[in-house]
Amino acid sequence: MNEHLTEQKSIYLQIGEMIETDILRGILLEEEQAPSTNELAKLYTINPATAAKGINLLVDRGILYKRRGIGMFVAKGAREKILAHRRAEFAGKHIAPLLAEAKSLGIRREELLTMIGETEL
Amino acid sequence: MSLTCQHITKAYGGREVLRDISLTLEPGRIYGLIGRNGAGKTTLLSILTAQNPATGGTVSLDGQPVWENRKSLEKLCFSRELTANAESGLAAMKVKEYLRIASIYYPGWDKEMEKRLVELFQLNTKKKLAKLSKGMLSMVTIIVAMCSKAPYTILDEPVAGLDVVAREQFYKLLLEEYTETGRTFVVSTHIIEEASDILEEVIVLHEGRLLLMEETQSLLERVRHVSGKAEEVDAATAGLELHHTETVGRSKGVTVFLQPGQSVDETRDVSVQPVSLQRAFVALCGEEERHEA
Amino acid sequence: MKRSLRFWTRYTWESLEVVLGAMAILAVLSLLGADREQTADFAAQLPYLLCASAIFGMMMLNTGSQTLYVPLLLSMGETRWNVLLGFHYYRVLVIAVTMGLCALIWVLFPGELSGLGLRSFPTILCVLVAVSSLGSILGTLFVRWRWLGTVIIVLLCGGAGGLIGITSAASLNGGFSAAAVVKLAGYLVKTPWWLVLIALGTLAADVLFQWVLLRRREVKL
Repeated sequence: MNEHLTEQKSIYLQIGEMIETDILRGILLEEEQAPSTNELAKLYTINPATAAKGINLLVDRGILYKRRGIGMFVAKGAREKILAHRRAEFAGKHIAPLLAEAKSLGIRREELLTMIGETEL
Repeated sequence: MSLTCQHITKAYGGREVLRDISLTLEPGRIYGLIGRNGAGKTTLLSILTAQNPATGGTVSLDGQPVWENRKSLEKLCFSRELTANAESGLAAMKVKEYLRIASIYYPGWDKEMEKRLVELFQLNTKKKLAKLSKGMLSMVTIIVAMCSKAPYTILDEPVAGLDVVAREQFYKLLLEEYTETGRTFVVSTHIIEEASDILEEVIVLHEGRLLLMEETQSLLERVRHVSGKAEEVDAATAGLELHHTETVGRSKGVTVFLQPGQSVDETRDVSVQPVSLQRAFVALCGEEERHEA
Repeated sequence: MKRSLRFWTRYTWESLEVVLGAMAILAVLSLLGADREQTADFAAQLPYLLCASAIFGMMMLNTGSQTLYVPLLLSMGETRWNVLLGFHYYRVLVIAVTMGLCALIWVLFPGELSGLGLRSFPTILCVLVAVSSLGSILGTLFVRWRWLGTVIIVLLCGGAGGLIGITSAASLNGGFSAAAVVKLAGYLVKTPWWLVLIALGTLAADVLFQWVLLRRREVKL
């Protein structure tokens, strides 16, 4: 939460990602209440319908669930689900662009693997 | 209870200002109306609220015609952009008086909110309208719109002349009121990018015609800026709706509006970027071609 | 409709303040101009001054309301029909209150002039209605078509000037014939039917004229 929104990606997707990141970081724990649509709208100055879209996305993925009359809560096993989802996306999201950029720079695979081995975090 | 207009045309003498506009405003949404100066935004809003007679077509609220219909008109509020220059009759009127008359004519007028907003904006209500700055006039527009509590509230250029902090205050205020009451708002604005996050649906008017009316988020999901070597860009965007082509030497940049099912051919060596609402608007309604050798 | 009444009634009150103010000024001026007058006689003349200032006041204010209040109320979502009704309700109210004040003064200060005043009540009413309606039409014309209004005003002033010139010349040349004066006085006391017709006619013309213009009027603040 509290990151700024960028124009690089649909807002509702960003909302969903931010909540997921918070869950991964332990800011939001399982069975805790997630921010409501109105809270999100107010926090980011966005239309509530957009916030709702983001939340519904997470509900569809089983990350959040609705407790009638109360609000949205973090589902059990949400953390694992998010990790699994992001791992699955990792290749397409981070590796493919890396390979494309390397290709356009003429860096061969062996060179690339060496670079990866040598790069410290 | 939706506000609908069918086949609205408006002409002054031989000059057509609005051409065959039909649209429906559903209750409980925040709409944005954008268009260049002279596109016909204020004229359309005037006609929707029966303050201007249309040359052709009808406007109805919940099935009932709006024209000369007090029951329908009570549910509408058109807070105009005020320009109290010396010529306008309003010039000598005090803010207090203007707000008082508004409070008489809007049945749901919220006096508490009026007090709160006047204080928030630090508005001197004893001042005459002609003596107010553009920013303060906008604040009056905002106060009337908010306090009217009208189910359909239209704001014409509400942020003109406001500094960035005041503009942010306005967007937050609008959202707060919308969240609390579910009123329908239509905001006509030139400051597109700031407002884009709070607009659920956007209406684009260009040269008197309705260009598009779509949910902001889904519009943004189908607009892409494609750039790279000219041949690659052409290949990647073959058959797609293109706007605002820019070429510099061998490179080319173009804004693409995708229809459902279409996509940019990303196997080509091109950069594909999302586009902000403002850029999408400029691509759609700005000049078409720009060449630089 | 209730809302309209609130607005126009208050506007009537404000307009009357202006009219009474104008009358006070005229009264002071005429006091200064004349030599010692009896209080009763002076009081009896006041209503005439009141009517004169009411007429002028209404002409001025009418231009103001056409320029300001009509578009303003339309911009606040009032129907054109209600604006028309409200405006004429206000006009009738101003005339009614003016006449009421006149009557009150004449009753409070009885005398020959006052008696004449009370008896010529209907005539004065008709004249007020007719002249204010004409003034209203003029004002509307002026606001809508500046040039046409100006032309008409110039013609009227010229005509009025000419009329005054002729009458002064006539009075210098031996005054109005006694018969003419008696006839005029007779009109005051027994309201001629054609005066009533003129009053009603001008009122109807005013309402109609304003309605025709108002129907397709666009709001420009």
